[in-house]
Amino acid sequence: MAASSRRAVLTGIGVLNAIGLDHSSVWTSLSQGRGGIRPIQTFDASGLPVRIAGEIPSFDGKAYLEKEQRKGLRMMARPIQLAVAAAQKALEDARINPKKDLDPTRFGVEFGSGLMATDLTEIADAASVSATPQPGVVDLHRWGEKGLPVIQPLWMLKYLPNMMACHISILHDAQGPNNTITESDVASLLALSEAYHIVRRNGADFMLVGGAESKLNPLSMVRQCLFEPLSHRNDDPAHACRPFDRDRDGLVLGEGGTVLALEDLEHARRRGARIYAEVTGVGASFDSGRSGQGVVRAISAALRMAQIAPSDVDHINAHGLASIPSDLYEARGLYEVFGKCQPTIPVFAPKSYIGNLGAGGGVAELAASVLAMHHGQLPGTLNHEHPDPECPVTVHTGAPRPVQRDHFVKVGFTQNGQCAAVVIKRIPGEG
Amino acid sequence: MRRRVVITGMGAITPLGNTVKELYENQLQGRSGVGAIQAFDATRFPTKFAAHIKDFDLARYVPAAERWKYSGVNTRFAVAAAQQALADAGLLSHDRGDRTRFGVYLGSGEGIQDFQNLMSLVAHAYDPQARKLTVAQFCREGMNAFHAECESEQELHTTAAHIATAFQLEGPNYNCLTACAASSQAIGEATELIREGEADLMLSGGSHSMIHPMGVTGFNLLTALSTNNEEPQKASRPFDQRRDGFVLGEGAGMLILEELEHARRRGATIYAEVEGYGTTADAFRVTDSHPDGRGAAACIRDAMKDSGLSLEDIGYINAHGTSTQVNDRVETLAIKKIFGEQAYRIPVSSSKSMLGHLIAAAGAVELITCVMVMHHGVLPPTINYEYPDPECDLDYVPNVAREKRVRHALSNSFGFGGQNITLIVGLPA
Repeated sequence: MAASSRRAVLTGIGVLNAIGLDHSSVWTSLSQGRGGIRPIQTFDASGLPVRIAGEIPSFDGKAYLEKEQRKGLRMMARPIQLAVAAAQKALEDARINPKKDLDPTRFGVEFGSGLMATDLTEIADAASVSATPQPGVVDLHRWGEKGLPVIQPLWMLKYLPNMMACHISILHDAQGPNNTITESDVASLLALSEAYHIVRRNGADFMLVGGAESKLNPLSMVRQCLFEPLSHRNDDPAHACRPFDRDRDGLVLGEGGTVLALEDLEHARRRGARIYAEVTGVGASFDSGRSGQGVVRAISAALRMAQIAPSDVDHINAHGLASIPSDLYEARGLYEVFGKCQPTIPVFAPKSYIGNLGAGGGVAELAASVLAMHHGQLPGTLNHEHPDPECPVTVHTGAPRPVQRDHFVKVGFTQNGQCAAVVIKRIPGEG
Repeated sequence: MRRRVVITGMGAITPLGNTVKELYENQLQGRSGVGAIQAFDATRFPTKFAAHIKDFDLARYVPAAERWKYSGVNTRFAVAAAQQALADAGLLSHDRGDRTRFGVYLGSGEGIQDFQNLMSLVAHAYDPQARKLTVAQFCREGMNAFHAECESEQELHTTAAHIATAFQLEGPNYNCLTACAASSQAIGEATELIREGEADLMLSGGSHSMIHPMGVTGFNLLTALSTNNEEPQKASRPFDQRRDGFVLGEGAGMLILEELEHARRRGATIYAEVEGYGTTADAFRVTDSHPDGRGAAACIRDAMKDSGLSLEDIGYINAHGTSTQVNDRVETLAIKKIFGEQAYRIPVSSSKSMLGHLIAAAGAVELITCVMVMHHGVLPPTINYEYPDPECDLDYVPNVAREKRVRHALSNSFGFGGQNITLIVGLPA
């Protein structure tokens, strides 16, 4: 085992999603039980079978950048803009001015990111000159000669997944390690895991770690409607996302960006930083049978690394997708690890507030629990009204409950089998 | 002491052959894998050529290959290369080793977009006179026209999931996509996962094809591709003064990374050790690398430091060598920055002169080439090297393979957006 005495702590939180555009407004919504699932407003969703989401109705990327940096926004798809904005908020919250306070070569960036759909208006003229009367057939000769040349030269760069970490490294002069994990719903948890190893192995002193995603555009929504088990509760969006509830009917999509400042403990102490919490364990696995065994192995590995027992955990921040099969096997996995703990360890499912943020989801949800530890109160999960008897978990609902222990576990997985878990510890006296 | 990581299996599906042996031998012959684009009618595109995979049939590698009929070629290439690497390492059978300690870390690209349907739908919902797109119509028609499984198979985590499922690899499962640096970064970080004790074995590498209408369109718009349509096999000419851009390739390269003691205990063939890994960012511009090679040089330096080797130990460099004006100049500068006078004594060649640019998969295939060089003692050349560029003045092994015993080799990969990766491999002691 590579022994390292270096410790990695969280010193800044930047979070934008359907329930707030910074961590204090997000906390207010969480502590008041106010969810953000609403009818889609940013485009005409009337042609879709699903018309609800955890949307940010009034996001303006310009508000987060200096005037001379704003022209760069043209080259950033919405998820990249959300990432850049969250990075700005995280740096402010960490009270870091990177160009003054950090050695650029010891400053890294690590993101969870996903496929980004092209803005249809950017290809519409090219498509139009190349189309044929036959549906589904485009004339490639016309595309090559007349279509291709009318698209913006930098078109492709606007949608590359690694451009979140790239733009952030450029804006803040982060010359250290820079990676982009593209593992769907566990992407940003794996990004945090990797960044944790990088800080511990002395590869960086300070890292911006995050994830962002937005599927709330026509092309992505069509695709998600085709292959994701989405909730069809269009008439009752506030109650659509129902983790571990008997009446759940699928997941709800959301959008957002989250960035955490992850810092070497000594580096943080030297500059007198406020320390929210420490990352003490990470684990990852693959669940080839979608049985919940992957969840068990990821959590067990993370607990082992953190050197704690299941009973040391204050609460479990669940994946809680609210899809019918995945809540079942997640609950069984959680029961296998935590089922013997007395009193039972409560489960918190933040997707009930913000929906599924995909590649940006893991850190967005983890941030909710970091805020809970910071404020000493665990928010209730929404819409868990009729516990599914097949799901052996105790979901905390209703008014916030006082935090009782110093650790929480965040778990996430993809419907294809990738699993990840992270253990976070509140540091008493420094939180 | 930290855990050491060795390479115990390799697999490759490349434009120069669908085995590691063919890949290497065809490079030694100086063959080009470049030809006319076959995947679609590119005859009116600015670039009409690329380096395709030839004679590929997934059914030769795995049973029930129809499982992947809706997957992109990226996944199909990856499954085949993974099967080769696992078989090579003697780990194909599911009962070999503790599969929960055996993970996957790929730098694999996206699947292939349904270009014809997408553009047709957009055109149908668009009024070019008013420049207005009727979104509701696009959505309604899209729900009927797109194929659900073909769409979901484009997602970026599906390849790593398919491999884990097919071969029952239940350890940590990662995929990174840092443009042209992706599979090298995957191998570097997979090495770190083994060093940290999160796994004993990792299947790592990459797979990608951007030889499709959107890929060629995107790169042509960036003017990153060579447009030497008259002589496609001469288009990829790294370090040559008349280079005018890279040539798209496609394929997959997979390696089995294993903790040294684990490999020894089971009596595995150890091809090489992963000795050094460096990872930095340019933090300069989205479109250009730093003109002084700042990030690239720092990356080579970090990898050297990680390996504990001295500059004289490096016997060969497999360059990123894309054949773009900027990359080849800046990479040369970065190598000279770190190696000083010694730089002129290290042969540097670019596999991309023959293979084209496999984008996310490039680094893995090039690292495999480094391992083969150490085992067989012959360096692949940089082909199409005709007109020396005064700013590129290293020994690029021009045009003909060369015998040289190499104990330690270095491979560079630099991604669009500024990610720099260097890997160093060495023969087992």
